Amino acid sequence: MIKINNLSKTYSTGAFTVPALKGITLDIAPGEFVAITGASGSGKSTMMNLLGLLDRPSEGSYLLDGMDVSNLNDDDYARLRNRKIGFVFQAFNLLPRLTALKNVELSMLYAGTKHEERRKRALEVLTLLGLEDRLHHFPNELSGGQNQRVAIARALINNPAIILADEPTGALDSQTGLEIMSIFQELNRQGTTIVLVTHELNIARHSRRILRMADGLIINDEEIARPLDAHNEIQALREKGGRA
Amino acid sequence: MNIGELILVAIESIKSNKLRSFLTTLGIVIGIAAVIAVVGIGQGGRAMLMQEMEKFGTNMFGIWVNYRDGESFRLDDLQINDITVIKENVPQVKYLAPASYGQMQLRGSKGHKSVQVIGTTADYAQVRNLETVWGRFIRDDDAAVGRRVIVLDERTALKLFGPGNPVGKKVMLMSNSAVVVGVIKSDSSMLGFNSQQIAYLPWSFLSRLNGWEVIHELQGSASSKEEVEAAMNLSKKILERRHHAPNHYYAYSLEQEMESANKVTGIMTLIIGCIAGISLLVGGIGVMNIMLVSVTERTREIGIRMALGARRKDILVQFIIESIVLCLLGGFIGIILGYGGALLVARLAKWPPLVSGWTVLLAVGFSVAVGLFFGIYPANKASKMDPIEALRRD
Repeated sequence: MIKINNLSKTYSTGAFTVPALKGITLDIAPGEFVAITGASGSGKSTMMNLLGLLDRPSEGSYLLDGMDVSNLNDDDYARLRNRKIGFVFQAFNLLPRLTALKNVELSMLYAGTKHEERRKRALEVLTLLGLEDRLHHFPNELSGGQNQRVAIARALINNPAIILADEPTGALDSQTGLEIMSIFQELNRQGTTIVLVTHELNIARHSRRILRMADGLIINDEEIARPLDAHNEIQALREKGGRA
Repeated sequence: MNIGELILVAIESIKSNKLRSFLTTLGIVIGIAAVIAVVGIGQGGRAMLMQEMEKFGTNMFGIWVNYRDGESFRLDDLQINDITVIKENVPQVKYLAPASYGQMQLRGSKGHKSVQVIGTTADYAQVRNLETVWGRFIRDDDAAVGRRVIVLDERTALKLFGPGNPVGKKVMLMSNSAVVVGVIKSDSSMLGFNSQQIAYLPWSFLSRLNGWEVIHELQGSASSKEEVEAAMNLSKKILERRHHAPNHYYAYSLEQEMESANKVTGIMTLIIGCIAGISLLVGGIGVMNIMLVSVTERTREIGIRMALGARRKDILVQFIIESIVLCLLGGFIGIILGYGGALLVARLAKWPPLVSGWTVLLAVGFSVAVGLFFGIYPANKASKMDPIEALRRD
């Protein structure tokens, strides 16, 4: 799914050049659930931007879904972001003036999907995420968890090769965060490739592979034999809350 | 993303900030309203003017004596025989009448009034398209036999005799009397040519009253519009030859007058167009200003759209369309307000409002052009944003 080889990124601001990534080689297979962790400044955001085709590497190659994307132009990048990548952000990044339904349709709008088809698929995916009675609500009328679920629906809508989630639970309370993680785990069980960027180890432990980054390098690549199960954690939390 | 969807996106964005959108577009509204109102009023006025002038018949022409500095007035510069000679020799001249002007006190059974009197012949009615209400106009045999008759206009007749048909009644003028043989319709013209009260006398009768023969002006009409020029110039030539006085006569035609009136209104329209253009320019700068603010405010939206797969071109077109839709909206409001204004003024001035399809089309075209021109810079700025930077912004 993702094959990067000796990928590096250097930012130059005037006289200074700051290396953000120092030659990373990494394979992510289809169906994986990878968490990238690290302190701020470790390079995980840069990694995310490069994987998400929001930025270009300074050196190295990047194969996405079997296609070398290292040397494509802006328009191709936009098209690939649209078709191959589903973004989920910490701050949801929904358009405040659009309803949940319209927000989900937006990705399909840029894919050129016909109106009826857009409506149909957006309805399907929002229903899947339990938002069928929130279709015509605006983001400010929804809770954080609901907003993030709308964002996940939007990320899923074009059947992307990979979901890139950047601190998706960062703006949510712990229980709602777990609910979001349980959605990701369920999606992953159904075969969706997910790359999660987080600095919280508790969240990272829900994935099946943790990449630890520091100073622009991957310093640890660890398979998680038994990831945490968000669904069970929620149950446990509920029981505890019930007893209290 | 197709154009229809982009327009919907633009409308949604405009709707979401109604007050600001309205204030932004105000400059365009005022500019377009001003153009539509002024052009509408101007064209209405011009149409009215033309209509009034055409009442006289577009075939009409006139000849004056052209006195230069130091030349003194002479009674015999235009003579009654000149008319006969011109009519015999210039086939293009259909009617030709003398006009001798004066002011006289008229007294009837019910009142008296000082009016303008015109001494003339039967042709005058044809030249000026006069309409008789009662009786008849002056006839050629009146002049021939020196009959003491008078034709009044409606208003004078009312003043002298009260309502009703005054034909056959006697009018005292100076120490003489004349019989009313006809009443002609008063002109309700806005131009004021004929709006004063007028009485017509046979030219020979007026000469006898005055004690001298004088013709101030010849008024004629050509047999067709195309022949006005020839009729006018040939008549002038005959006068010059008969009186051995080159360049002594001045000829004019209604056609010429209309042309110069048209030229004046044309220049007016041009000046107004320039002023309107400037106001639209100012309006356009306002739109650009707000679009720039809007682009900055919506940086994050731009970032989100880019992350979801919007190409730079999509962002560019989105903002340009938003700018055009904004200006078009202003244009439409402006057209409605301007048309209302033109209607109001026309109602007050009693002439038809004339807002042509072309004016509206031009206004719409101008709105689009302003939106496009002043939308490009902000839209370009939006499309050049770095998606990472844009997403990071609050």
